[in-house]
Amino acid sequence: MVHKRLGILGLAAVALMIAAACGGSSPGTTAKQIKVGLVTDTGGLNDKSFNHLAYVGLQKAIADLGIKGDVIESKNGDEYVPNLTNFASKGYDLVLGNGFLMQPAIGTVAGQFPNVHFAIVDGAGTDASFKDLKLPNVQDLLFKEQESGALVGAMAGMLEKQGKGPANTHVIGAVGGISIPPVNHYIAGYKWAAAMEDPSIKVLVGYSNDFSDPTKCSSVAKSQIGNKAEFIFQVAGGCGLGALQAAGQAKVYSFGVDADQKDADPSVIASALKKVDVAVYTSIKSVVNGKFQGGETRFSLQNDATGYTLDNFNLPADVKAEVDGLAAKIKAGTLTPPADIPA
Amino acid sequence: MTAISDILHLLFTANLWQATLSAAILLLLPALGGVISERSGVVNIAMEGMMLTGAFFGVVAALAWHNPWLATGVAILAGGLMAAVHAVVSIQFRADQIVSGIAINIFAAGLTVFLINRIFGLQDVGHLGPNEGLPYISIGGLDQIPFFGKVLFQQNIVVYVALVLLVLIHVLLFRTRIGLRIRAVGEHPQAADTAGINVFFIRYSAVITSGLLSGLSGAFLAIGVSNTFVPNMTDGRGYIALAAMIFGKWTPFGAFGACLIFGLGEAIYANNSIIHASPYLLSMLPYIITLVVLAGVVGRSSPPAADGIPYVPGSE
Amino acid sequence: MAIAGADPLAAYQGLLCGGLGALCGGCENPALQISNTIVFVTPLITTGIAVALPFRAGLFNIGAEGQLLAGAVTYTVIGIKLGNGPAPVVIPVALIGGMLAGSLWAGIAGVLKALVGAHEVVTTIMLNYVAQWLVRFLIIGGPLQAPNGFSASPPTGPGARLPTLLPHDNSLIIFGLPSSVYRVHTGLFIALAAAALFAFLLWRTSLGYEIRAVGQSQRAARYAGVDVRRTIIVTMLIAGAFSGLAGAIQIAGVDHGLTDKYFSDTTGFDAIAVALLGLGSATGIILASILLGALHAGGAVMQSDAGISANLVLVLQALILFSIAANFVGAIRRLLPFGRKPAALPPDLPPAAGLMSESATPTVQT
Repeated sequence: MVHKRLGILGLAAVALMIAAACGGSSPGTTAKQIKVGLVTDTGGLNDKSFNHLAYVGLQKAIADLGIKGDVIESKNGDEYVPNLTNFASKGYDLVLGNGFLMQPAIGTVAGQFPNVHFAIVDGAGTDASFKDLKLPNVQDLLFKEQESGALVGAMAGMLEKQGKGPANTHVIGAVGGISIPPVNHYIAGYKWAAAMEDPSIKVLVGYSNDFSDPTKCSSVAKSQIGNKAEFIFQVAGGCGLGALQAAGQAKVYSFGVDADQKDADPSVIASALKKVDVAVYTSIKSVVNGKFQGGETRFSLQNDATGYTLDNFNLPADVKAEVDGLAAKIKAGTLTPPADIPA
Repeated sequence: MTAISDILHLLFTANLWQATLSAAILLLLPALGGVISERSGVVNIAMEGMMLTGAFFGVVAALAWHNPWLATGVAILAGGLMAAVHAVVSIQFRADQIVSGIAINIFAAGLTVFLINRIFGLQDVGHLGPNEGLPYISIGGLDQIPFFGKVLFQQNIVVYVALVLLVLIHVLLFRTRIGLRIRAVGEHPQAADTAGINVFFIRYSAVITSGLLSGLSGAFLAIGVSNTFVPNMTDGRGYIALAAMIFGKWTPFGAFGACLIFGLGEAIYANNSIIHASPYLLSMLPYIITLVVLAGVVGRSSPPAADGIPYVPGSE
Repeated sequence: MAIAGADPLAAYQGLLCGGLGALCGGCENPALQISNTIVFVTPLITTGIAVALPFRAGLFNIGAEGQLLAGAVTYTVIGIKLGNGPAPVVIPVALIGGMLAGSLWAGIAGVLKALVGAHEVVTTIMLNYVAQWLVRFLIIGGPLQAPNGFSASPPTGPGARLPTLLPHDNSLIIFGLPSSVYRVHTGLFIALAAAALFAFLLWRTSLGYEIRAVGQSQRAARYAGVDVRRTIIVTMLIAGAFSGLAGAIQIAGVDHGLTDKYFSDTTGFDAIAVALLGLGSATGIILASILLGALHAGGAVMQSDAGISANLVLVLQALILFSIAANFVGAIRRLLPFGRKPAALPPDLPPAAGLMSESATPTVQT
């Protein structure tokens, strides 16, 4: 009871401040402009990975669609709810949460603001136990990372089978950030496809437990290289850049992740793509066109949002044909890479 | 119990020890800086921030000039500059040295990310070209010695420099007049002052030196191991270095020993793709080992007597 | 701010609004901002105490974060097991469980310090890392992971949740927003009570006297009949309980389960700044918590309103720390040639200075 009274006291004080501060705000003097708010996860905008890509998508939407776009970088996980609420409470049309860490936060805030559109990359609006609440105002922007992983995995497997690896050891490696679904999808496809092309291949899977410290990924990669791995696939954001560099120093090959990481190191022969910018742009566009739909939106080879890009390497034509053939089969649905890492 | 046999097996590989030494050196440089600073009586918990600043400006310079040596110089200076701030605030203004150190760490974390936004916009920070980082050098002849050649003589140039600095700083602190003065200032500044030693000068020099060393470590991290800057890439190393310094009882070689433990932990962890154990439990190992060693073997560590106390000329 | 290239006024406005709900523009909702700030402030108060109390005894507890995590883990475990029981029973049991876990975590450092003289800075840093890895172990593929592959524990039961001040209702509109957006919870009162308890303990009990005596000079304390070893251990146990309480309250009032956000939690480190800014007094700690909480909350609003990176807040925070620590105004006056002679002034040390030196005197006679 005491609590309630105190609460009411506080409310009265707050009410005064509202009257003073925000009372005279005039609603939309200009034509209705769509407002989009992006909340990054703790990686921040310069994460060289998916927050950065989301921002690229937002920028493109600002340029092409004439929307107003704002960003808040979350400094830690405590801020997800307040940052999402901030945009929602100000009447933004679309609030984008980036990263599956934000799922419960999106679920909470989207429930409070049923008239605001929400979208989340790599997840859904969930309750505290990560159960999808299936809210009609939340768009889940999900990727089939395993497809991109499979394409570079197939490349590694083919090259090993044909004896074109640096020393042809039939060992390849993957360096993940943390063992979580979006990371493991990539690795699952990689391992699956590599083994399909070269049944004798051994795939080492390690985790740096970090997304920002390149030395950690560098050491994991070096350990794998020391154990004869000669293709290193990084799935660890900014940390993974260290893995690419370790591969370069040891004169073995590496694969970039999410964006085209050709410039990160000469050892990068291809990158597995996850076009977060496309997803973000698509989502914004759906709001602008009034065609927003809640629920799952899958980004895959089907809509050209996963795939690979060739980097610092002259890939033999038959290998490229094989990889592209695999892509076609996945696209057609005749082959489906697994979402969980095969044993 | 495969995990234990996995680790035992690892302990006999040169790769593991090569990685251990490299990881230890990243910690050793700031730890040495801490030793010098605290031996002169100024508590320094700001190595994290100095290292991060060094790493950032090192990368900015390397991207601008494509020269690792100039960039390393810039990184060292940037670390030194941060240390100079710590020195002014804690020596001149007699601020609480822990508050000042914490402020430096927070400042560096905020400043670097903020400046990335300013300098690079929201684009990638960029990567150094293949020959623009600090080089790895194999020492001809010696690097062919079985096992030890790989561990000791196929390393980044900073590793060799740091090992030389380790010996030099040990000699400086315990075998020279300058070292005697530094320690005198840290133990009993009033007496040192009376004996004609310039307390302020010694303390300023010591604190700034700690920044230079931390900056060098930042350069090793960013333009030696990583070739780019990532926000918060120091990842608590400055604090581990602090722990190593105290663990090593404020001596260079003691700190080095502690750094080797942490380096070994990091190196073992890096092999988690071939060790059959939870990587998270594996990660705890060096910290638990440190606790056990502290409890059983090392025991009491006492800092210099005047560590943390601002010197007021003329006070009793 | 001017160098940031954006409108500095808008930036300050955003910061003030986000932090304190004052001078809000752009139809930011002040009530929401105040509520958010209080949610950040709550755990800072108790962790701030957990750093400040050992400071009084000349101990530097850099391990509030690890102790907080220990409390959070324990509260979560109890909250899952007993969560369907009645709240008046479950919450106190789980809170005490969290406090005991924090005590245990800090107690390790206390015992090592008292018995073998192991420096608490090293041991508490080590214990931080152990706790952080423990959390990862537990919720990534470990025994506490919810059965769906995400890095989070199952949620605690309804009986283990502290109520919010306003009804948790999405349809009830208060100040133009659904009342559930105001996340201020009753843990705030627990934190304030803890601050009162801290002041009482420190100034009104013999234990408080002993803690302060040990902090002033261990040798003198020993002559005065204080059992220094015991005091060190007890101080750390109590400090750990305060940190553990912070973690427990976070789970009880905000998160209702352990999630990966605890990987990036920095409350226990911010607490060091809180304790030092608060100069070790209960009121000071509360004010310092409000300052840091307001900066924390204000940064996000500043970024959304003025487009300035929220990280600038860290720079501001550091500058505030510098200026308070260095007492710039006083120091500059001291430096002026026409000021009073420096030697005439007593060295005005904040209570935490000389902290490292205290452990320099032989810790315990063995």
